[in-house]
Amino acid sequence: MEGAVKKDFKLVADNEHVDAVSRTEAGMKDELQRWPLFGLSVGSFLQVIAMEQQTCIMEVYHDADHWGHFHIIEGALYDAICGALRGEDAAMEMISWENVRLNIKQILATSKVERTIEKNLMLLLMESTRRSDEVHHGRTNGDMEDNEELEELGELDDMDVIADDVERAKLEACLNILGRDMGGALSMASIASVQEGKMMASFNTPHQTAESFLRLTQYLKKAFTAHTSVHLGDHYIMDLKGQLTLVVLIFGEYQWCVVFDNSKCTLGLFRNIIMPKVVKTYNEMNI
Amino acid sequence: MNIQKLNACMDILKKDLGDGFVASCIITTEDGQVLVATDHANIAEATLLNDATAFIRNALKTYPAELGNYYYVDVAGSMAVLVIPFGDYQWTVTVNKTLVKLGLLLNVVLPAVINAFEDAVVS
Repeated sequence: MEGAVKKDFKLVADNEHVDAVSRTEAGMKDELQRWPLFGLSVGSFLQVIAMEQQTCIMEVYHDADHWGHFHIIEGALYDAICGALRGEDAAMEMISWENVRLNIKQILATSKVERTIEKNLMLLLMESTRRSDEVHHGRTNGDMEDNEELEELGELDDMDVIADDVERAKLEACLNILGRDMGGALSMASIASVQEGKMMASFNTPHQTAESFLRLTQYLKKAFTAHTSVHLGDHYIMDLKGQLTLVVLIFGEYQWCVVFDNSKCTLGLFRNIIMPKVVKTYNEMNI
Repeated sequence: MNIQKLNACMDILKKDLGDGFVASCIITTEDGQVLVATDHANIAEATLLNDATAFIRNALKTYPAELGNYYYVDVAGSMAVLVIPFGDYQWTVTVNKTLVKLGLLLNVVLPAVINAFEDAVVS
């Protein structure tokens, strides 16, 4: 069913009630008919479409001078156009809009859609959140020279907290991708800061377990360094009873701990397909 | 314990891993003493991995889960270590990971050496 909108969006569309809208101005009625969906943010709606693996054009209307559209194929964001902007810039612009009206249209021939967006949706949403936070806190890229003044005002601590939250959100996004790709095979996953010894993001992981494996990694690092001529590498793998496999990956200052059902996802699939994708996402986030 | 069969286990390992084989040793978990070791075997490493196994078992209790047939530790550079705990014994195999595919190690070599070792222990 290529190119068709597979699901019915009636639940969120209000076209049926346009006639009943009390405003009688013809222009307003036309506007409502053209962009009948409202109430959700652009980001939320994109996530719904992605989750449902939809193929469609999502039109976004902010005001008469600000409108555009996204091309989405099987849940993946392919293209976005907004005024003179195209691709990621257009997408970021539209995601930042509030109080928008939306419309969904079919894509008749997906083969004609040019892919201008390579980043996955979650990354774009996180980047948008980061930019929004920066604007909110008056901290655009060119404003870093203000840091000294801010420090005097004792505001840098707050900045650290915000940065920490953004970092955590990015790591949570990585785990979400991992969970989505592994489906029911994922039993537990956590990302912890090796230096600070604290859990940054987790899925189904007891705090004690994450801490225990942080200690184990530290133990192995010290033991290898102290008693052998070699150093611990960047991962270790454990076979667990009950058809489970545990993989611990050490990326810079973070330790990833993943337990999965190896009857549903093989170690080969995890190492060669899933993990490289998650690592790519992780690297793109510039954590 | 049949020492002849235990040595035969090492021969199977060397044959299956070819150039990827670096060293191996089997120790008793109780006191960390070496039962069998090949040339270049790093006894200190094998002993610390004996302690690491105890550490791992405790760490897994918090999940809770139990250690299965093996664990594999990546070492910086070209080496990796496969650890096979057998209750009272622990077998450590150091391989050149650039020459041994993990799939071969875990799916072909590991089952063969586990069978050979169990045979040696009951003999």
